[in-house]
Amino acid sequence: MPAMGWTATNKDNPLMEVSMFKKALLALPVALALGAAAHAEKPPEEVLQGLIDSVDSAYLTQSEQNLLMMPDNPALWVGMDGEDLFHTARGPNNVSMEACDFGKGPGVLEGAYVEMPRYFEDTGKVMDLETRIVHCMTEVQGFDKDDPAVKQRHGSGSDHMKLQTYIAMQSNGMEWNNPLDHPLEKAMRDAGEVLFARRAGKADFNCFACHGQSGKQVRASVLPNATVGEDWTKAISWPAFRVGHDNVRSSQHRVRGCYYQMRQAGMKAGSDASIAVISYWTDLARGQPAILPDMKR
Amino acid sequence: MFKKTPLAAGVAAFATIIFAGGCAVADADKSGKVDYTAMTPHELAEYLMFEANGGGGFNLSQEVQEGGTARERMQQDELQKACSIIDDGKPDAETLSAIRAAAQESIVYPEGGIKLGDWKKGRELAWSGFGYRIGHNFDDHSKREAGGTCYNCHQLATDRTGGTVGPSLTGYGKTRGTSDAILKYAYDMIYNPHVYFPCTHMPRFGANGMLTEEKIADIMAYMFDPESPVNE
Repeated sequence: MPAMGWTATNKDNPLMEVSMFKKALLALPVALALGAAAHAEKPPEEVLQGLIDSVDSAYLTQSEQNLLMMPDNPALWVGMDGEDLFHTARGPNNVSMEACDFGKGPGVLEGAYVEMPRYFEDTGKVMDLETRIVHCMTEVQGFDKDDPAVKQRHGSGSDHMKLQTYIAMQSNGMEWNNPLDHPLEKAMRDAGEVLFARRAGKADFNCFACHGQSGKQVRASVLPNATVGEDWTKAISWPAFRVGHDNVRSSQHRVRGCYYQMRQAGMKAGSDASIAVISYWTDLARGQPAILPDMKR
Repeated sequence: MFKKTPLAAGVAAFATIIFAGGCAVADADKSGKVDYTAMTPHELAEYLMFEANGGGGFNLSQEVQEGGTARERMQQDELQKACSIIDDGKPDAETLSAIRAAAQESIVYPEGGIKLGDWKKGRELAWSGFGYRIGHNFDDHSKREAGGTCYNCHQLATDRTGGTVGPSLTGYGKTRGTSDAILKYAYDMIYNPHVYFPCTHMPRFGANGMLTEEKIADIMAYMFDPESPVNE
């Protein structure tokens, strides 16, 4: 059973011995429950280690502690809650999310997330994971758009973060490959490229102010370089548990936070502008393996 | 600010294209369905920012600290437009000199010349990353003054950890002295660094109104005063 690899790797790590008993108890149900993730040959920390071994990057290596903690990533448990939630019949229509198409057919999650954002025929729009979940909740399950299940986007306890983490984990270790075949996918990616370079706001910043060079720090944080694929795949590997926030965070949360720090306007959740940015940033990581779930400082 | 330069004409033409594009889209589509694929990437980016999702992809009606709304914050001035190049490339040499000239014109010097203020105040201003953030967690300037955010990108006194996006300023006054020329250079760099480095990523703290004349004097004291820990 390949999923057992998640625990086996810890035996090689002497620093993890203390928690071995706890891990033995905890990891087995995780491995069983997340059986659908077992297709990924390497756990997230090994995907990251592979990148670290392949390139000299101050960003990837900035937190040895996080790397050691990744087998115990709290996001794994958020994802486990997400699995239950995904397969439970919910909402006024009393159906599960299995009826929902994330791009590879109803209920098919393996590799779906690394091919998002993508164009969806049923809505005629390019959607990222979060906006697609909103669509499924409102259109398939019948939730009102103001229902807390739909509205609450942030925090490990939110339905959104549980579902996003579970769905994303089914793409761990796979290469980012958002499709650009449909004209709308290409248009959104290209608009995202413009937005990435667009300087505005009180401080004249664009995304490259922080993400155009390697090994630079804002205060103590080493920044990922958007032009280096090995850096960038980790940078965009959301959901990730943010240690400093003590919560699992999403791509949408990251984009909102960047615009906030740039002293630009508050981003509307799931706006087409946010999806354009995410389309472009996914394209920048194309071909690099996703680390899902990740752990960040 | 770029009047009488070739840049202004170019930028104006560009703005016209975007405006015309926006109108064409609105006119062509009375059904309410907008064809993103009919726009250029620049037109679409502006549309997504200011018009899509019912009034723009951002909360543009939010009031901002300097007065006005986020909509005005997101509109680009000429320098921001000229320095927004795909993949963060640089504009041509002619544009770069126009940017430098306009930056020089923007700088207002204190009456009676550039003076150093209180380095202790400057130390806290240089450290503070507070100020001018809006969106989901608005920086209320009535509760706390806006800082200089210097340590975000620069190392200064080494008792605190600074960033490395910009060069280290540790020992700045100690190694450079306090001649009029170096004081003017530092003042210019804080006020509008595009005068020396066109399209730099450093904000225009004076020209953009992020720091007052008094705060700039305090931060400069932190950089130059022999008593300041920057010069230990």
